[in-house]
Amino acid sequence: MDKFLLKLMLAFVKKFVRNGIDFERLKIITETKILMDRRRVHVNYNKQKDKDPKNPLLITLIFYGIFGFFFAIMIFSMKSIQLSMIFFHAYLLVMMAMTLITDFSSVLLDTTDNQIILPRPVNSRTIFMARMIHILVYLLQFTIALSLLPLIAVFAVHGVVAGLASILTTFLMVAISVFITYLLYILILKFSNEQKVKDIIGYFQILMTITFTVGFQIVPRLIDFDEIDQSFTLGFYSYFLPPVWMALTVEAFKEWQFDPLHLGMIAAAVTVPIFTFWFMIKYLAPSFSKKLGAMQNSDGARKIDTKHKKEKKLLSERLSPLVCNKEVEKAGFEMVWKMTSRDKGFKMQFYPGFAYIFVFIFIFVFKSGKDLSSIIQNLPNSNSYLWLIYLPMFTISGSITLIAFYEQFQAGWIYYSTPIKYPGQIISGAIKSLFLKFFVPLYLLMFATAYFVWGNHIVNDFVFGFFANASLFMLTAIFGEQSMPFSRQLNIKMQAGKFVKFFIQLAIVASIVGMHYFALKIDWLIWILIIPAIIATYFMINKIQKYRWKNITI
Amino acid sequence: MMNIIQINDLRKRFADNQVLKGIDLTIETGQIVGYIGPNGAGKSTTIKILTGITSDFEGEVTVLGMNVRENPIEIKQRIGYIPEQAALYDVLTPIEYLRFVGKLYQLSDEIIQSKSMELLRLFELSDKSDLRMNGFSKGMKQKVLLISGLIHNPDIIFLDEPLSGLDANAVILVKEILSQLKKAGKTIFYSSHIMDVVEKISDRIIIIDKGRVIADGSFDELKQNASEGSLENIFTALTGGSQQHQETAKEFMDILNSGKNG
Repeated sequence: MDKFLLKLMLAFVKKFVRNGIDFERLKIITETKILMDRRRVHVNYNKQKDKDPKNPLLITLIFYGIFGFFFAIMIFSMKSIQLSMIFFHAYLLVMMAMTLITDFSSVLLDTTDNQIILPRPVNSRTIFMARMIHILVYLLQFTIALSLLPLIAVFAVHGVVAGLASILTTFLMVAISVFITYLLYILILKFSNEQKVKDIIGYFQILMTITFTVGFQIVPRLIDFDEIDQSFTLGFYSYFLPPVWMALTVEAFKEWQFDPLHLGMIAAAVTVPIFTFWFMIKYLAPSFSKKLGAMQNSDGARKIDTKHKKEKKLLSERLSPLVCNKEVEKAGFEMVWKMTSRDKGFKMQFYPGFAYIFVFIFIFVFKSGKDLSSIIQNLPNSNSYLWLIYLPMFTISGSITLIAFYEQFQAGWIYYSTPIKYPGQIISGAIKSLFLKFFVPLYLLMFATAYFVWGNHIVNDFVFGFFANASLFMLTAIFGEQSMPFSRQLNIKMQAGKFVKFFIQLAIVASIVGMHYFALKIDWLIWILIIPAIIATYFMINKIQKYRWKNITI
Repeated sequence: MMNIIQINDLRKRFADNQVLKGIDLTIETGQIVGYIGPNGAGKSTTIKILTGITSDFEGEVTVLGMNVRENPIEIKQRIGYIPEQAALYDVLTPIEYLRFVGKLYQLSDEIIQSKSMELLRLFELSDKSDLRMNGFSKGMKQKVLLISGLIHNPDIIFLDEPLSGLDANAVILVKEILSQLKKAGKTIFYSSHIMDVVEKISDRIIIIDKGRVIADGSFDELKQNASEGSLENIFTALTGGSQQHQETAKEFMDILNSGKNG
């Protein structure tokens, strides 16, 4: 689609805007930019590591298309055009803004031009045109992916006039999302530094991935269109929201209703995006471009007040002596604690899975998702808290495999050049770190929730559950490949033929959970079962600590 | 003087490629040894074997009186290694990275903290000790790597292109540090492409080519034997590069001139 759009635009430029444009150079610059867009991974949906998609952009667009499909269904099933158009435009605004925020520096503000193209003999009109075409192709293909199916639905359900109006409002909405993205970046830059900008982009990418994974699961279960349709009225504040302007504009054309309210909304829908776009190009973009360019040219190191430098120890450094008894193990513990907070690759893979815990709980505890009040009333009489005890482990144990991989995996040379006799100590430190950092806080949250709902009698279950989970965590580590943290290449093929191991592991998990289920009625038995769980955990940690280099996959 | 490194008939093969074809060397305590050779000559492979990173080789190698195959951990504890173009965990700050490496050497918290701060100060990085290294220049990262290789006060230091990416001041500082380390009785095994630095700081220069030692001696001795002016000239003469370089440069100019300008 991108190539087609590019050809279309280049043909347009060749025909109408010949003045001062070096067409051959324009073509090669835009083609290269679009090739790079194709290869940049946008949002990581692909959990399997053995696949390296040739065109990640296409996969992203297909996912956007699926989201569009949901909204097309919504447009078909909702009676009120006003409401369905508000939802559609709000969805467009959120999705476009989130996409732009994550891709901002490579699309809207591509400063690589300054280093690569400016020193070459290309005139400024050509550079400007190349930038415009690149941005337009990018925006258009995402707009088409997001809105093609919903727009078809509008044509089908509400007629041609409403359909044409909604095409116009779609583009106006995209213009507003570009402006909002700019505004957000200006705010971020005003109050922080480049590191923060990078962090914020990272958080948005994680947020997007979570939106996708959770959205696909929960939204279709939650939305009861009929109920919303009947109870919907617009409050006065709604008239300040761009999706409402757009929705009322489409409605005005469908119903051919041009009263003062609708005319006002049409005026807002057309003038605000145009004005903001003009304001952005004229005032915001140039100064912003300078600021960001200057920031990228600096060494990126923020000046800090060295006189008042804190001698305060980090949390990981205070915790490591409490849970690790060897220096090498402490090194693994602290390093994994810090790296998991900062490595974007890990965060992108792990946090969406983390969000899945809540999806699972929602699905398993609340099952149908209908009639929440009666489910909540009956909860204290059920055994559903077992889900709260064992579900966190399923996604958190995934972190054990994830920490092996790192974009700059070459940094792992340090393990092989330092005197580590038992690399297993690094691994045990790493596993303790993951358990303490991710599992324990979540488990405490689960415990607090369960205590609130079920009361005192679940305390022993949660104490046993804690050690059972600890032993399952160690078991996952033992059954998996042993790798040094952050030392393996991403997308490397995982070893095949692990089915037997996987089934043994699954059988052990099932038998522990099954045992817990059958012991629920006997309080004293649960207290006694805690002892073997502690012993099993202890022996497994010991086993991991004794791994030597021959046990490690490099 | 004691032989701190002893290599007998060292051979190493990668698939069909015989990288080292029988190297014999003896290195005494306190020497600065410059180890030079063209790309693919086997320099980095030799260093990886000497540092206990690669154990799959033929021949006998002892470092600090210990067999590298049998005692790699004990040897690693007493040597420092700074590899060429080494990556580091740059989402950590220098102080966090040095703490991590220090713990791998089993140093105490106090020693790691005080040495890191002092060494960072020496390399003019103390005001950046709390910043993540992903914003650092190549030279700044190289300084952190140098510190990480020296933090445990090793007896032998293996350096593979330690000056790459360093600014002029840092190069002078590293050269000064190397001579101070030599005064303190440390042995330095130094591999580099920058001939004039090797020429100035090395007590002994070993040139290898195609997996064999082709010259070994002090700079003066090499000069006498090869009757060439600088180490660079000696190196090109011995590795047969001189004529080849001239031909490549001529060919390059021919290609440039062959097309029309503009």
